[in-house]
Amino acid sequence: MSGRRLDDCLRLIGLTMIGTVICFLVVPIMVTTLMAFDARPYLGPLPPPALSLRWFSRFFSDDYFINGLGTSVELACLSVVLSLGCGVAIAVGLDRMSFAGREALTSLFLSPLIVPPVVTGFALLLFLAQMGVINGFARLLCGHIIITIPYTIRATLAGLAGIDRSLTEAALVLGARERSAFWEITFPLARTGIVSGAIFAFAVSMDDVSVSIMLTDAKTYTLPIALISSMRANFDLSIAAASVMLMLLTLALILILEKAVGLNRAIGQGVFR
Amino acid sequence: MAVSMPSQPGAVVEFRDVVKCFGQTVALDRMTFTVSAGETVSLLGPSGCGKTTTLRLISGFEEPDAGAIEIAGESMIGKRPYERNVGLLFQHYALFPHMTVAENVAYGLRHRGWAKGEIPARVAEMLQLVQLEGFEARRPAQLSGGQQQRVALARVLATSPKLVLLDEPLSALDAKLREQLRLELKQILTSVGSTTIVVTHDQEEAMSLADRIIVMNRGRIEQQGSPDEIYMRPRTPFVAAFIGRANWFHGHVGKFLGNGLAQLVTTAGTQLAIRYPDAIQGASFSACVRPERIAMGGPDASAGDPSDNLVPGKVVDVVNMGAELHYVVEGNDGRIVVVEPNRAGPRVRNGDQVWLRIRADDCVALPRSEP
Amino acid sequence: MKSDRGALPLLIPGGFAFLAFFFLPLAGLLVESFRLYTPGSIGTSASAPFTLNNYAELLTSAFLEFFWETLRISLLASLAGLLFAFPLAYWITRRLSQRWRAITVGFFVTLMFLSVLVRTYALELTFGAAGSMHSALLFLGISPNGRGYIEFLVGAGLLHYIVPMATLTLLATIQNVDPRLVDAAQALGAPGWKAHLSITVPLCMRGLLAAFLFAFTFSISAFVIPMILGKGRVLFISNLVYTRFSEIADYPSGAAISIVLFVVAMTIVLVMSRQINKRWNA
Repeated sequence: MSGRRLDDCLRLIGLTMIGTVICFLVVPIMVTTLMAFDARPYLGPLPPPALSLRWFSRFFSDDYFINGLGTSVELACLSVVLSLGCGVAIAVGLDRMSFAGREALTSLFLSPLIVPPVVTGFALLLFLAQMGVINGFARLLCGHIIITIPYTIRATLAGLAGIDRSLTEAALVLGARERSAFWEITFPLARTGIVSGAIFAFAVSMDDVSVSIMLTDAKTYTLPIALISSMRANFDLSIAAASVMLMLLTLALILILEKAVGLNRAIGQGVFR
Repeated sequence: MAVSMPSQPGAVVEFRDVVKCFGQTVALDRMTFTVSAGETVSLLGPSGCGKTTTLRLISGFEEPDAGAIEIAGESMIGKRPYERNVGLLFQHYALFPHMTVAENVAYGLRHRGWAKGEIPARVAEMLQLVQLEGFEARRPAQLSGGQQQRVALARVLATSPKLVLLDEPLSALDAKLREQLRLELKQILTSVGSTTIVVTHDQEEAMSLADRIIVMNRGRIEQQGSPDEIYMRPRTPFVAAFIGRANWFHGHVGKFLGNGLAQLVTTAGTQLAIRYPDAIQGASFSACVRPERIAMGGPDASAGDPSDNLVPGKVVDVVNMGAELHYVVEGNDGRIVVVEPNRAGPRVRNGDQVWLRIRADDCVALPRSEP
Repeated sequence: MKSDRGALPLLIPGGFAFLAFFFLPLAGLLVESFRLYTPGSIGTSASAPFTLNNYAELLTSAFLEFFWETLRISLLASLAGLLFAFPLAYWITRRLSQRWRAITVGFFVTLMFLSVLVRTYALELTFGAAGSMHSALLFLGISPNGRGYIEFLVGAGLLHYIVPMATLTLLATIQNVDPRLVDAAQALGAPGWKAHLSITVPLCMRGLLAAFLFAFTFSISAFVIPMILGKGRVLFISNLVYTRFSEIADYPSGAAISIVLFVVAMTIVLVMSRQINKRWNA
């Protein structure tokens, strides 16, 4: 009987843990969203007595933030295009390789995922300085490319892996040459992998802080960098407004991902490390 | 080293001493065979026998390590799949999921240089051949298994290839559908006059589709011949055991009985008359008898022909399979399976003592295989 | 089909990018970590002599304390993360309907996509010193500015990433465990908790170790989370690199610390991966 008691006890504990953790994950987000609409001109305790959009207008009228936002979006778009170009090519190349070299090379190309981002950023900074590259945007672009490529490679590889080998063979035996078979059969079917990779790459680029912070300069900075300096200087609610905007962006990305690819499949293609 | 021999006229496919190894494994060991125009040949064997390798060598996805491969007199060494005029029907059809039925069927036509204007008419013609008129706009995912197979067949035949390769064509279908499609497949291939090679591990598939069967084992050809030859006159123990069911008697040659008959003295002492013109006194060998060739009689059975063998036994199992009755009879030489059609009339029951009548001509002498 | 055909030229543009933006810079970082730094200058010149000073410095107790703090908090956060994620993943897999499972998974995926900055700020806003729970914390007798609380908050920040990530990893692992095994164990007399401990947990061991590996390497490399929540009082190794770089311009020292962090992270990943693969024969 005590086995049963212990069972029930543990079950209760388990459920409490689950409840606690879900609250822990959700509450801060909700608090931030709520506070972003706080009508008070200062940061006060919960709950806000009245709601307004003042913090949002503060955010949008601040050149510092808007510049950062513009740079972030530019960087993200460029990085996605460039890293897709390299990444898809690499993934296709890896997919064609015979077994021995392939695993080692794949790990090599995915290694930026394991290396601490600060290290990547610092190393790149020193190297680019030596090479004479001082343009802030160029430096940031290099950094963003290297951190986004592994995502495009991994997602494309997963997409390619799902393609039945016999389809390419069928195309060949029907008369198509290798190149036609690739563009007409393999590429369209790998599309979901490539799209997933693009979306992950965009999200990673928009979010990055650790690499960008090493490569940024006074004139060129990304939105997360702007937010961090703002946080240290003046911890106010315009950052809450910015957070809400970023949350909306994330939701938009997730919706696109779901529409284009389906979330279940995207998870299979490595949304987490 | 390939032996330089003139190719046979009228042959569509010729394999001469083809060798293929994968690392240490020898997949094909000097494989030699031909297929003539209009023939349907089956490569039959268990997994690992080399039939799939042969398929891939013909279609161009592998290159041989030695030997000659010719299609319609042209050497295929070094030729990529798209440079050969071969049609391949994949086991799981390999229909392009992102294209419609019409686009699938048209794929080969587009890449083999057909004029754009002529393609739709040809697609319609092929769909009509496989009885799928009007299916042009559908997608593979919307089709049943049988329909997918027909689209795959239409796709293969559209370019009128010199040779059609079928990879386990009926294995992906359930039993009822298999029956139906087997006949359709045969009729379509005959009407088109194609030369066909069917690769399969399923003897029923081979027996029902092919004019000639090549039985393979471990990279070598065990025997080739018509379905009847393979079944009634197997030349190796492997073929006897692989095709259908076989009953075995092991022993050595006793007396010569004249008329091409020899006596088999089994290890249990039973004496059987076997048709064995090349018998050597004292040599050990095995005899194989098909279950449906054995007649079962009650304890008072009288002889028909004097050369008939009568073997005593006790029925230990009776299985009613509907169309047939299967009996397992325990005799001095072990268990014997007897199959009889399910006729009306007195039935033999479990536990009965019976005499099995085995004609000498129904026994096939084979090299000794251990029981 | 001939593989390796045309594989190589495809790897060239990407390979070049990797060489230029990753491998060469890392090599350069290694070299820089051995150079002598003259205080007051920015970085080093190309002619600076080589020395082991930068590494020797790290053997002092001050640095080792930072190191230890990073490892300690990371370890605790990773373990706590797994402890919470496992029952959560189990509950989602086994107790939720198909529809709710999809919704929950969607929620976790969204969380993981959400900017780390937003999540960290949200935590600071809610639980931090100037935050909304300020009065509640004081009421409970916790000083929001105390070192213990700040360490806890950094750990919580790590958890906010670790829990969704580990849960998603474990979902797949638990799905692969046949629920009837636990039923069988219970039919044989084991109480629920024992059945899980002896059946479910060992069968999920591989997934648990993989999740732990992700969590731990993420934590020790963390930058933003300790930066914002640590308030300068709790510093992780990544933050140390940044301060060397931005506040002192002692690049060689920053480089040395980076290399140490790099080696530690790579070693953990390689060793643990090999162990996992050896035990469970990938």
